Amino acid sequence: MSAAVVFGLSHLQAMLLFALVISIAFGFLSRRQPIERIKYIVWSLFLFLLIGVGIGWAMYPFSR
Amino acid sequence: MTDETAAPPAPRADARSEAFALAIAVAGWIVPGLGHALLKMWGRALACFLTVGLLVFFGAGMRGNVFTSSGNDAFDTLGYLADLGAGSFYFVARSLESNGPDVSRADGDYGTRFLAAAGVLNLLAALHAYEAARGRKA
Repeated sequence: MSAAVVFGLSHLQAMLLFALVISIAFGFLSRRQPIERIKYIVWSLFLFLLIGVGIGWAMYPFSR
Repeated sequence: MTDETAAPPAPRADARSEAFALAIAVAGWIVPGLGHALLKMWGRALACFLTVGLLVFFGAGMRGNVFTSSGNDAFDTLGYLADLGAGSFYFVARSLESNGPDVSRADGDYGTRFLAAAGVLNLLAALHAYEAARGRKA
């Protein structure tokens, strides 16, 4: 089998994809009720993005 | 007079359930989600299979580094252990990445993280299935 697809994602797209997939996994593993899972997934995704963007801005002054 | 009683021997049922829980964990490690599927936790089984599968698919598609056992340093070994956590999907990643890794670009670097995260996530899911099989958590 050969690699038919090669992805070229931007930094933001990669972070969004990673955060979404991991949030879904955490939500399903840690909560039982569907509504609780959705709330957990949304909250986890929000925190992933907030902290990711926050760290990005925190590193900005040292990037040049 | 003290009422001394001999400690009861460990029940065979406990040993059987422990062996069953271990089998569930190993099954969950080899095929992501299989441990939960055997426990009839269908939602979690599907979620584990799809999330680990997506991370491996994108990680390999982004030409991340799939580490092998012949690593040069401790980081390669750690990466190999993390990648191996994906069970059979480790070999899927290797077969998908026929062109080899390309970590000279940010994509490849992210892909390496995706693959490692897939392995660690699958280990977490297998541990969750093990605990659920023991009745500690569901």
